[in-house]
Amino acid sequence: MNGMGLYEERNTWVHRSDPVTKLFYGITVSAIPYILPYMGVAAFFLCLNILLLVLAKVFKKILPILFLSFFLMLSIVIVHGIFHPDNRTPLFSAGGIHFYREGLSLAALLIIRLLNMICGFGVVVLTTKPDLLVNGLVQTGLSPRIGYVIHSVFRIIPQMAATVNKIKDAQRARGVETEGNLLTRAKALFPLLVPVIMSSLIATKERTMALELRGFGSKGKRTFLKEYEEGRYSRQARWFFLLLLFGSAVWRVLI
Amino acid sequence: MGKKALWKISTAGLVLIPVAVGINYVGKTLASLLKLPLWLDSIGTVLGSMLAGPVIGAISGMINNIIYGFTLDPVSTVYFITSLAIGLVVGILSYRGWLKSFPRVLGLGLIVGVVSSIVSTPLNIIYWEGLTGNFWGDALFAYVIHLNAPLWLASFLDSIVVDVPDKLLTVLIGYFIYIGLPKNIKQLFADDEIEEL
Repeated sequence: MNGMGLYEERNTWVHRSDPVTKLFYGITVSAIPYILPYMGVAAFFLCLNILLLVLAKVFKKILPILFLSFFLMLSIVIVHGIFHPDNRTPLFSAGGIHFYREGLSLAALLIIRLLNMICGFGVVVLTTKPDLLVNGLVQTGLSPRIGYVIHSVFRIIPQMAATVNKIKDAQRARGVETEGNLLTRAKALFPLLVPVIMSSLIATKERTMALELRGFGSKGKRTFLKEYEEGRYSRQARWFFLLLLFGSAVWRVLI
Repeated sequence: MGKKALWKISTAGLVLIPVAVGINYVGKTLASLLKLPLWLDSIGTVLGSMLAGPVIGAISGMINNIIYGFTLDPVSTVYFITSLAIGLVVGILSYRGWLKSFPRVLGLGLIVGVVSSIVSTPLNIIYWEGLTGNFWGDALFAYVIHLNAPLWLASFLDSIVVDVPDKLLTVLIGYFIYIGLPKNIKQLFADDEIEEL
């Protein structure tokens, strides 16, 4: 069951790497450019992430995700390029409006960091099956109840999306207008939203009882259907990432 | 709800969390489907807090952003602190009786909008030097910066312009659904004497 998520099935070493270690990697490489705000640092990690994406054969899949932030990036270039208080040296003009070097170089740093963050996450998200990641986290120490919660979200969202479609069709058949001017569309919100929410909440009661009956809250030791094996160098890799993170924080404070 | 139940994490509360995240998702999808100029992605967090208290609400908010970050848009992860704050505020104020009269609910909506902006502003400043990626907000930001106002003010106004209407409507929707729910659902979370295995 594919359900929700961006995972792409491929057979590369990146895919086969320990998911929890990949998570450490993703967080580390996304955070460091913010701790050490230099263009060189950001560009280095961005290149590293792109390389990994290519090696994992999922590079094309990151492009739609990057596109989601397109407006934000455009806004960064325009607003900071034109209006930043430090702007002094005009770089070029378009239609009588000046774009300044200071604002644009800041914009460049912000954008490279954003691209890096998205690609860093992409390395984790596009190559890791959510189930395996949650499984790994739980067996590394995350509370199994939180593991259930996360796992449950992945199942619930496609279900709710399907319910929304069903209810949308049912209500449209009853005359609810979903196209037209703003007021018409706004009036459609309640007849669509309320039935979906009510039915989901009512189902919560049965779900709770079902879980209770299956020993959900029990404090005993649990066994797992799929045993999680740490990668061979997982321990070293995770310490390495933690050290990098800590090291860059120290560097930032000292320099 | 008893004072003990406010901070308790019960099975019912945990089961509610994915539903809350699902409701957030539904709100977000409908807002986008109907092309409404709002996010409407916190209805679940708010409703979860009204039903099961601040802790469950806060966790719902946090898990919501983390999961969106992993499955839709990595930028969402950055704002998990905001969702957490919304969950806490709604939970604590609901417990203190802010759901008892309609004017108070409006007040709650406004407070949530302001708190949401206050928490998001430092995040926006760190990550994108004050912008939010929303058209109207960023246009206002540019204008205010042009008038030589300090960065934090421009960024705060950028957030407020979208967050206050959005959260006000979100809290209102949450409230109307909350009062319309059958009593046995509310009892599920309220009573700290439920027998558990």
